[in-house]
Amino acid sequence: MRVLLIEDTAGLGQAVREQISDDGHAVDWVQRLDHAEASVRSTGYDLILLDLQLPDGQGLDFLRQRRAAEDVTPVIILTARDQISDRIAGLNAGADDYLVKPFDLFELSARVAAVARRYSGNPNPQLQLGALHIDLSARTVQRAGLTVDLTAREWALFEAFIQHPNALLSKAQLEDRLYEFGAEIESNAIEVYISRLRKKLGRELIETVRGMGYRLGPV
Amino acid sequence: MKAAASLQKRLSLGLTLMLSVLWLVATVTAGLVVQGELNEAFDSALEETAQRILPLAVLEIINRDASDAAQHIAALQAHNEYLTYLVRDNNGKILMQSHDADLAVFNPLPVEGFSNTASHRLYGASALRESVFIEVAEPLKHRREAALDASRALLLPLLGLIPLSLLGCWFLVRFSLRSVLAYRHAIETRGAGDLSPIEVANLPAEIDPLAAAVNHLLERLRSALEAERSFTANSAHELRTPLAATLAQVQRLRREAPAGPLQVRAGQIEASLRGLARLCEKLMQLAKAEGGGLLAASPQDLALLSSYVVEELGRTAGERLKLSLPGSDQVLSNIDPDAFAILLRNLIENGLKHGASDQPVAVSLSSSGLLCISNAGPALPATVLAQLSGRFVRGNSQAEGSGLGLAIATTIARGVGASLSLASPAPGLPDGFAVSVQFVLSSPASLP
Repeated sequence: MRVLLIEDTAGLGQAVREQISDDGHAVDWVQRLDHAEASVRSTGYDLILLDLQLPDGQGLDFLRQRRAAEDVTPVIILTARDQISDRIAGLNAGADDYLVKPFDLFELSARVAAVARRYSGNPNPQLQLGALHIDLSARTVQRAGLTVDLTAREWALFEAFIQHPNALLSKAQLEDRLYEFGAEIESNAIEVYISRLRKKLGRELIETVRGMGYRLGPV
Repeated sequence: MKAAASLQKRLSLGLTLMLSVLWLVATVTAGLVVQGELNEAFDSALEETAQRILPLAVLEIINRDASDAAQHIAALQAHNEYLTYLVRDNNGKILMQSHDADLAVFNPLPVEGFSNTASHRLYGASALRESVFIEVAEPLKHRREAALDASRALLLPLLGLIPLSLLGCWFLVRFSLRSVLAYRHAIETRGAGDLSPIEVANLPAEIDPLAAAVNHLLERLRSALEAERSFTANSAHELRTPLAATLAQVQRLRREAPAGPLQVRAGQIEASLRGLARLCEKLMQLAKAEGGGLLAASPQDLALLSSYVVEELGRTAGERLKLSLPGSDQVLSNIDPDAFAILLRNLIENGLKHGASDQPVAVSLSSSGLLCISNAGPALPATVLAQLSGRFVRGNSQAEGSGLGLAIATTIARGVGASLSLASPAPGLPDGFAVSVQFVLSSPASLP
């Protein structure tokens, strides 16, 4: 997934970015609301992690603006405000989840995965895809009963196809999901990961639509 | 406490009583004056009668034959005599009398001028060099009746005056106090935590400065509570943010460190950071519990708040947490929503921590505002139960905790006027522990 992290505390922002990147997502980290606004204008994000007290404004106002502009990107609020009234205000403003600082990074990973599943239209973390048994929350795939090891990048790419089972995904879209701004991308990176996935999970898993992109093969 | 006296009742009764006493004094004075005047008039009539009859009687006595027999003057027509008279010589021999004259009412010997007997007023006069006397008697009863009639006529209006005065005073006072009553109503109907100024127009000059002083006080209280609230919120933010950054960095360190002593040490730091974060949170909750901002300006739905808190804690507690709510009804109380959430969160955390780990923690809220949190587990001895709500007391549990949870809940309950009680074993169970909190419900009148 492509994730936008809006957090002004450097130490926390850095740790969160590393954690989410380790989970295989591409993370853009900004420390101000105006940068966040510029980012959402230029890039389609799958998830926004939002701090509430930022140097140039309130995160809730940003969230309300996004919802008013009919942006349905899932938002998880990360805040030091733990009161129930703040929580209710956050959820009423359109947040999908609310995590109070100090939080556990693994708890954050789990919440990110849960929100992603909810938006893929299938909140059930257990999936059966042909011979593949997939557990989205544990991030494991079994092929004919045997666990297949996937790297974080391979998993992120695989998850992109599972979340959009009928969609044609262009190479650029897939790069967006895997890499944050300014990352150096090898020109054939996507082809390399696709071929690794095919090798591990089966040739027919991903179809190539010549000149257009890729999509999940017929099961 | 002695019941406060109603100003309206006191003024109505006092004014009516005063009016009645004044009227009575005036009536008595008027009665005495009237009686004096009546006496003068009656006396003058009595004297006039004697003076008129005497010459006629003398003439009659001289003209008649020297008969010794006393003469009864025959009545022209039968009638009851009001005045009776008796004509005697200076030895008391009766020469003439009116036909109804009763000898007993006259003096034994004739007396000149006015005199009184037990029942009559007499007037005597003489003629022929004090050889013939006349006495005219008038019953006193008659005079008394006249005075009584006059007094009665003066007293009678008082009977009507008392209820009229009561009613009039009651209305007048009520009318004058209507803005004060409106003020009272405005205070009565607002929520216990509503600190907005009380606006009532046209208060009497006596009350107006009082209302202004009350508003001023409310304003100061509001800003003090606001300052306290923002201080708590800001310090929470200032403390949590660096804690969050440090905890996240340590977690990254632990993840990146190679397996071995470094990773173990990172784990130890992480555990102490978590402990510090928990303690910090509890102390901030205690500060909130002991602060003044425990009441909300408007009624809050405890059922909705309970479901939020249970949902939030249910993420980690999972199936162990059972919530039962009174259907779709709202349960309204004037407690601050954050204070309620802190109270409930602490009680649930205690239940999860100290209760039997394979048994559910039941949270129930009744429509009468009774919140009950119960868990299974060994029953507590009565002595431990009595100490439990003190600070940093942990019972005999081995569970990890700050020992502040129940103290925080107790402090909040006290602050909002709710009553918190502990029971072990839990009601209806052979063992376990239960906390019940009875909240004060908002009256429907104070709904916004």
